[in-house]
Amino acid sequence: MYELDMLLHGAQALFNQPMALLLALFGVTLGIIIGALPGLTATMGVAILLPFTFGMDPLSGLLMISGVFFGGIYGGSVTAILLKIPGTPAAAATAIDGFELTKKGQAGIALGTATFSSFLGGTASVFVLIFLAPVLARFALEFSASESFALAVFGLSIIASISGVSVIKGLISGFLGLLLATVGLDPMGGFPRYTGGYTELFNVPFIPVMIGLFAAAEAFKSLEDPQVRAGMAAALDRIIPPWHMFRRQLGNIARSSGLGIIIGMIPGAGADIAAFVAYNEAKRFSKTPENYGKGELGAVAACESGANGCTGGALLTMLTLGIPGDAVTAVMLGALTLQGLQPGPLLFKDHADLVFTLFAGMLVCYVMMLVVGLGSLRFMGRILQMPKSVLTPCILALCIVGTYAINNSLFDIWIMLAAGVVGYFMQKWDFPASPVVLALIMGPMAEANFRRALSLSGGSYDFLYTRPITAVLLTIAILTLMLPLLRRLWAQRSPGGPTTINPAAGSSRMGTPE
Amino acid sequence: MKGYRFVTGAVVGALTSATMMVAVQAAEYPTKAIELIVPYAAGGGTDLVARAYADAVNRHLPQSVGVVNKTGGGGAVGLSEIMAARPDGYRIGMGTVEITTLPNLGVARFTADDFTPIARLNAEPSAITVNANAPWKTIEEFLAYAKENPGKVRIGNSGTGAIWHLAAEALATKSGLKFSHIPYDGANPAVTALLGNHIEAVSVSPAEVSSHIAAGTLRILAVMDDQRSKAFPDAPTLKEKGIDVTVATWRGIVVPKKTPANIVETLRAASKKAVEEQGFRDQLTKMNLSYAYLDGPEYKVAMEKDAEMFKVLMKQIGLSK
Repeated sequence: MYELDMLLHGAQALFNQPMALLLALFGVTLGIIIGALPGLTATMGVAILLPFTFGMDPLSGLLMISGVFFGGIYGGSVTAILLKIPGTPAAAATAIDGFELTKKGQAGIALGTATFSSFLGGTASVFVLIFLAPVLARFALEFSASESFALAVFGLSIIASISGVSVIKGLISGFLGLLLATVGLDPMGGFPRYTGGYTELFNVPFIPVMIGLFAAAEAFKSLEDPQVRAGMAAALDRIIPPWHMFRRQLGNIARSSGLGIIIGMIPGAGADIAAFVAYNEAKRFSKTPENYGKGELGAVAACESGANGCTGGALLTMLTLGIPGDAVTAVMLGALTLQGLQPGPLLFKDHADLVFTLFAGMLVCYVMMLVVGLGSLRFMGRILQMPKSVLTPCILALCIVGTYAINNSLFDIWIMLAAGVVGYFMQKWDFPASPVVLALIMGPMAEANFRRALSLSGGSYDFLYTRPITAVLLTIAILTLMLPLLRRLWAQRSPGGPTTINPAAGSSRMGTPE
Repeated sequence: MKGYRFVTGAVVGALTSATMMVAVQAAEYPTKAIELIVPYAAGGGTDLVARAYADAVNRHLPQSVGVVNKTGGGGAVGLSEIMAARPDGYRIGMGTVEITTLPNLGVARFTADDFTPIARLNAEPSAITVNANAPWKTIEEFLAYAKENPGKVRIGNSGTGAIWHLAAEALATKSGLKFSHIPYDGANPAVTALLGNHIEAVSVSPAEVSSHIAAGTLRILAVMDDQRSKAFPDAPTLKEKGIDVTVATWRGIVVPKKTPANIVETLRAASKKAVEEQGFRDQLTKMNLSYAYLDGPEYKVAMEKDAEMFKVLMKQIGLSK
């Protein structure tokens, strides 16, 4: 097989370049740190490192950037699981069950599972990139506005499955998120909406809201009784999950990685969407869906393999078509051009040596991520042994610094603190925060693409049912929304099930904006 | 009490030197690090120009220049901050074409007159690009088709009111055509839609489609510049075809209007030396950006011309507030 041959050649070439490997290791480590800190994103890390790659040979520069990209997506899970601070939007999905596991004293296994799942999802996606890139390349181009709209509606329907105990409270949170998502510049007309004259509100300050709802709210809550120790000190005795436990997740990881790869290939969709979709599907296929939201290891595995599966998918469209799927790959595209490499179908032929060495290096990056991740977990786990009276101010300081770092804006800090207060009361009254985050990701995407699809079709609504991908995604979305209702009806029939039907579940198709 | 006297001496000394510092500061600018505000995110085109410039100008100023990204509002947040900065030369900014477009949209507190231009560094014209499979081989064929099918030709841009939308509108008004303008979240998604044949054309810069031109998947029909592009000499200008439309995005260094003349002169001289370095030009070329230096006064003329053009155009198409 040509690809395998080239890959082995590439691996050989790679191990003759210790400097490139060292820089890759540096990139992965930096990526994990950036990912773990709220507010600092992989995009930012890649952009800052970009000028340093100017003087490097193409392989070293690109491997270092790939390392930051991979590590940045994984790193978000660590703080999400330990402290419920999602370092990245994708980790907001991981936090739902990951933090519950920590509360149950299973932080070690949750972190270990997250690390292995990230590694497996990422590695699988790089293999798909190596062997199937030319076959899959055209898929991204099939995606137009109507398909992106349908994907976003499907994403919104996931609110039904991440709502936790009460679907109606989940929907209220989701609608709160959708309302927030209407603030800012109108995506088609370009005029400001609900901005109160603040230019800072022209874009919905999404990351500050997320940091506030999760991290600051959690910190405010622990201010209630600062004397209590985190009390989970002994929890990190075991990091590598026992085989009998992990074996059960393999099917889940395979499915989630596949979803991640496909979503990664779609322009404009990234790790955050992949993590939530993987969560939803893992719950759908799980034998114990009622455990999701209460600390289910499968949820962590799904989110992390889905998020990291995105990396290979995003690289695939970038390398084969020259289309960056997200901000990180956009910067990487710049890095490639800088090094005199023109992404596109010819890249794999004209620069086969370099490309396959790069692929081998990406696989090595994921191995490094596994090693660095597992090695640092025990150290990171010590956070739990800190008394809350020390930890809480540290978290709040981190929230403020992280928020400021996004845009160098004080305004964002006030937004973050306000969201923290709202999040505190939401937590007190059992309103889940993740539907807000999901709605903030999907709402603007659904709105902009729906209206774009309408202008593309000249005002005709036919695109809703004449385009196959759109129709399929919309159907799945409706099914996802109906699922809790159907489950309830099913349970009602069998003796001992709940007898009340949640009236909101049926009408929740209104989750579609506009 | 020796110690007491020493303290008094120190205080007096410090006060005197502080007063002297203030006097010196204006004359011997710069005495501390300079912040270069970039109104767009790290890694984007404007940011790359800014970082290349900072690298180069650092060799010609006694103090270092550091890049700070202030994003939001399609550039309005950062540009407002540059306008409102204390005019002492320690907060300078990357001024982009949005200085001349945002005031008309009613979303900015500044106008082009609130800035003193120091040096234009880069400019990219708009270009009409179509899919390589499209039936139109020349701009004439494309425009003829648009004339026969009013509103049927969909042109992707980087956002309503953004520069590439205005470019397509300028072409439409000057040639009496009607396009359907489709806004995307930036130039890249618009180009992706064109690759997938979901739209008929894009109005983004040649640099933003160059890799697809090289791969043979897209075709540039015309550029909206005074002269042909060096990278794509086969693509005619609209001017050559008798349509007098030139629209370009540009990026350069600006300072608040009230900045003292000696500081402006220092920055102008340092910028001139910086852009004359081969290293700076090479770096721009490497990043697929065109070098388009204009010294302060000429930059001002170009800026005023654009401000006037967009004022008229945006009123005409109903975007002005």
